[in-house]
Amino acid sequence: MYVISVSTFWTIWLLVHLMLAVFLLGALTHQAVSVLMPVRQVAGPGGFVTRFRAVPAAGYATAVCVLWVLTFIVGSYIYTKYRIYIRIPIEQAGYWKTQGFFDFKEHVATICLTLLPAYWFFWKNARNPEYDTARKVLTVYLAIACWFLFIVGHVLNNTRGFGS
Amino acid sequence: MSTETATARATPATSSWASSTKFKTFAITFAIVGPVIYMICLQMNWPLFTYHPATNRIAFGWEAARSGEGPNMTWYGWTAMTLLVATVVSFLATLLPESVTRKIPLILVWLLPVLAIPYLIYDLRQWWFHP
Repeated sequence: MYVISVSTFWTIWLLVHLMLAVFLLGALTHQAVSVLMPVRQVAGPGGFVTRFRAVPAAGYATAVCVLWVLTFIVGSYIYTKYRIYIRIPIEQAGYWKTQGFFDFKEHVATICLTLLPAYWFFWKNARNPEYDTARKVLTVYLAIACWFLFIVGHVLNNTRGFGS
Repeated sequence: MSTETATARATPATSSWASSTKFKTFAITFAIVGPVIYMICLQMNWPLFTYHPATNRIAFGWEAARSGEGPNMTWYGWTAMTLLVATVVSFLATLLPESVTRKIPLILVWLLPVLAIPYLIYDLRQWWFHP
């Protein structure tokens, strides 16, 4: 006897993947904005945007790495069901570009995974100006990639995901 | 001191890995080699293994989908191959003298992943131009 149905089981994992992605997106967006628009001086409390970019960005690095790996693992786990129950109907319906964007998503996710050790190292050595450019570009790259992965996943879920 | 300095540089390298020269070499090599190996695996279709989700079967290397057994999945195999080879190459890089590893250009850490994007768009052209 099962406590939850098979469909509910996979839906829960899909939601876990979503929540991890949201945490990751928030952390990376804060960090990327803080390197793109660093706060030079604060006269008074500052507005929302100032507070948004005035985060202790270096402290996010380990969390970003852990969240990326966890999101990646959970995404890999639910991918098996996607391949059978989502991709095949998407292909049958002729949504070729949607399928192409999912393949793009999986490739980008793996490439970003290989960047994490360097990203972590550069942030842990943020005092070293030698790594400034690499640290900033990698952070923005990961943030843009994360937004891309999130939006593609969201669109795919709308195409055929939650509850289907 | 600006706030940017106070926020972005707030965490000095306190852990042993963050101050390790060998880990620096490993991480930088991993970031350079990883995307390249992944794109080679993609181009040559060299997965470490092929997974058949409908039958829960794993085959070493590439294996076509079998009739009546559902689709095959190679992404796991490409990813595993990339992580394995990149780990080995990066470990070997840590054995090189520091005078050599110091010359690894840092620009490659971000340039190669950036260049990977147009390549991936080209590689996926079958989906963009599917009739």
